[in-house]
Amino acid sequence: MSTVEAATAAVKRRHVDGRGLIGLLLVAAPVTLIGALILWPVSVSVFDTLTVRGPDGRHFSLESYRFFFSDGFSLRNLWLTIQVAAICTVLLLVISLPIALYLRFSETRLAGYIQALALFPLFVPSILLAYALIRTLGPNGTVDILLTAVGLPKIPSPYLTPWGPIIGLVWDNLPLTLLIILAGLSNVSRASIDAARDVGAGSFAVLWYIVLPRIRGTLLVAASFIILGLFSAFTLPYLLGPAVPEMMGPFMRRTIIEVDDPLQARTQAVVTFMICALFAMFYVRSVARTRREQSS
Amino acid sequence: MNRRQLIRCTFAAAALVAAPSVAFADVNRIDVYITGDSNIINFWNNIIKPAYESAHPEYTLNVVSARNAIAPIVERTLAALGTEVDPQVDIFDENDPNLPAGAIEKGLWVDFTEAGLQNYDKINPVTIETNYGLPYRGTQVVLAYDTTKLAPENAPKTWAELVAWMKENPGQFTHNRPDTGGSGGNFVRRAIHEANGRDPSLFRIDNYVQGESDELLAKGFELLKEIAPYTYGPGSYTADNMQSIQMLAQGVITMAPVWSDMALDAVNKGVLPETIAFTQLTDLAFAGGFADMTVPTNAGNLEATLKLADLVLSEEIQTKVVTEIGAFPAIGWEHLPEELASKYSNLQPASIPTFPGGPWVSAISDGWFRNVAPHVNR
Repeated sequence: MSTVEAATAAVKRRHVDGRGLIGLLLVAAPVTLIGALILWPVSVSVFDTLTVRGPDGRHFSLESYRFFFSDGFSLRNLWLTIQVAAICTVLLLVISLPIALYLRFSETRLAGYIQALALFPLFVPSILLAYALIRTLGPNGTVDILLTAVGLPKIPSPYLTPWGPIIGLVWDNLPLTLLIILAGLSNVSRASIDAARDVGAGSFAVLWYIVLPRIRGTLLVAASFIILGLFSAFTLPYLLGPAVPEMMGPFMRRTIIEVDDPLQARTQAVVTFMICALFAMFYVRSVARTRREQSS
Repeated sequence: MNRRQLIRCTFAAAALVAAPSVAFADVNRIDVYITGDSNIINFWNNIIKPAYESAHPEYTLNVVSARNAIAPIVERTLAALGTEVDPQVDIFDENDPNLPAGAIEKGLWVDFTEAGLQNYDKINPVTIETNYGLPYRGTQVVLAYDTTKLAPENAPKTWAELVAWMKENPGQFTHNRPDTGGSGGNFVRRAIHEANGRDPSLFRIDNYVQGESDELLAKGFELLKEIAPYTYGPGSYTADNMQSIQMLAQGVITMAPVWSDMALDAVNKGVLPETIAFTQLTDLAFAGGFADMTVPTNAGNLEATLKLADLVLSEEIQTKVVTEIGAFPAIGWEHLPEELASKYSNLQPASIPTFPGGPWVSAISDGWFRNVAPHVNR
C-alpha cells in the first residue's frame, strides 16, 4: 500500500468517525428525552410494583400482580379492553381497506372529496366527538328523531354500553388507519394489477393474490398502531362507555385519583404496557423486515 | 421532588422575581385571591370590582386567580403575621380558615362576629360553619325533574317517596358515577346517610376505620342495589354532572340529581327547558356547601377589605350570585327581591349536610364501583 493510499484511507476513516460523532450527538437529545421522561419513570414504576416495603427495607414481591390477576373486577376491565381493541381493529381494517383501495386506484375528482371527508376526524377533538355522538346516537338523539319521523322504532342506543366507545373509537382512528394503508398501497403498482387482469383475474383474485400479499406488513403495522392507541384511550370510553366494566384508561385514572391506590394503578399500567409491548414488537419486527427487504 | 413540589418551587421562584415590583405597588390596592373556576373570577372582575370601585373610588381591586395553589399564599400570610411586612393579601374568596392548623389560635383570621359588618345579621344561619369564614355563595345537590312528566305536587319529598316513585317509573331516573362531578356522588352519600339513620355526624373526616366504616357504607350500597333495576338502562350511570343534565334535556329521563348552580345556569342558558323544576328532600337534604371568604387580620387594607366583604353580602351582589352564577345566596331570601325568592324558592337550603373527604372518598368510589355498578347489567 502506498503512502498516498494509506493517507487517503486515514482521512476517510477520520471523516467517517467525525460523521459518527455528529450522528451520535444528533440522536443524543431524543435518546436522553426518552430515557429521562419514559424509560426511567417506567422502570421506577415496574420496580415499585415488584417490591414491597417491609420493616427491613424493600424486598421482592409479586403481591400486587397476584391481586390484579385474582381480582375479578380488574380482570373484567382488562378483558373488556382487549375485546374492544379487537373489535375496533377488525372494524377499522374492514372499513379502511375498501376506502383506501378506492382512493388509490380512482382518478375522479370525487376521490379527493372522499379523502378529505375520511381524514376529517383527525381534526376533531375526541371530547367534541363524544358529545356529538351523545346528541346523534344517544337516546332521543338525531337518529331517533329521524326514525320516529318516518314511523320506525327508536334504536337501542349504544350510549353507556361498550358499543358507545367502539363506535367513537372507530370514527376517531379511521384517518390514521386510512393513511397507513394508503401509504402501503403505493407499493402496489398498477402494472402488476393490469398484468393480472390481462391473464383473466377477477377483482377478488386481484385483491387476494396481488394486493393483500403486498400490504400484509402494512396491515400489521396499522393494527399495532390502532391497538396501542386503544389501550390508552380515555375520553371516549369514559364519556360514552358504561360505569362497569371500565376500559383500562378510565380504570387507571380512577384507581390513582379516586381510590388513591398508586400501587394498583401502576400494576394496571404495567399489565397494559406489557400487552402493548407485544404489539409494538410486531411493529418493530415488521419495520425491520421491510428494511432488510429493501436493502437486499 | 414530586410534581407538586416542583410547581410550588416554580411559583415561589416566580414570586421572588416579582417581589420588588409588588412591594412598591399601590397602597390603595385590595388583593383578592380566587380559588374558584373562571366563572367566579369573571364574577369578581365584572360584577363585584365595578360595584366596589364606584362606591370607593380611592381603592382598586386586584383579582388574582390562585386556583389550587392557595396553600403557599396562606402560608406567606401567616409568616407575615406579627411583622411589619404587608402580606399582599387582603381577602380569599374561598378558603377553609381551619387550615393550616393553629392559624385561628394565632389570630390570623378576622372574627366576623366582631367585625361590625352591616350585612352579617342577614346571613342565613344554616350557612355559617365558623366565625372566621364569611359564606357568600353556595351550591347543593338537588333533584331536577321534568314538570311535563311529573307534576310538582307529586315530586318526592323524602327518600322513601323517591324510591317509591322510581319503582313506579322504572328507567326514568339516573345519576352520574360517584367518582366524578359530585352530583351522583352526593346522591350515593345520601343513600349512605339514609341507611345509617340519616345521621351525618357518624361520618367525620377523622373517623374512617377500615372494615368498621366499610360496613356503614355497605348498608348504603344495599339501598342503591335495591333501586338499581329501576334506574335508566337499567344500571346506566352517566359519566359526569353535565351528562345527567343532557339526558334530562333530551327528555330521556324525568329526574336526576344535579348541582343547583349548574342546573340554574343550564336553565338560564336554555340548555335545560323552563319546564325543569327542582326539589329537595326534606327528611335530609343532599350534601353541598358554601364558599367561605376569609380575611387575614394583617391585611394591608383591612378596613377597606371589610367594606368589600360587606358589599359582597349586600342585596345587590347577592342577587347577582343567584342570577349570574346560579349559586345560593348566603343571606336569607327575605332580604332579596321577592320575585327572585319565589322563582327559586324550592332551592332554599333548609339545611346543608356535609360529607367528609379524605379516606371516605376512596372507600365510597371503590365500594360503589365494585358492588353497586355491576349489580344490574343492561
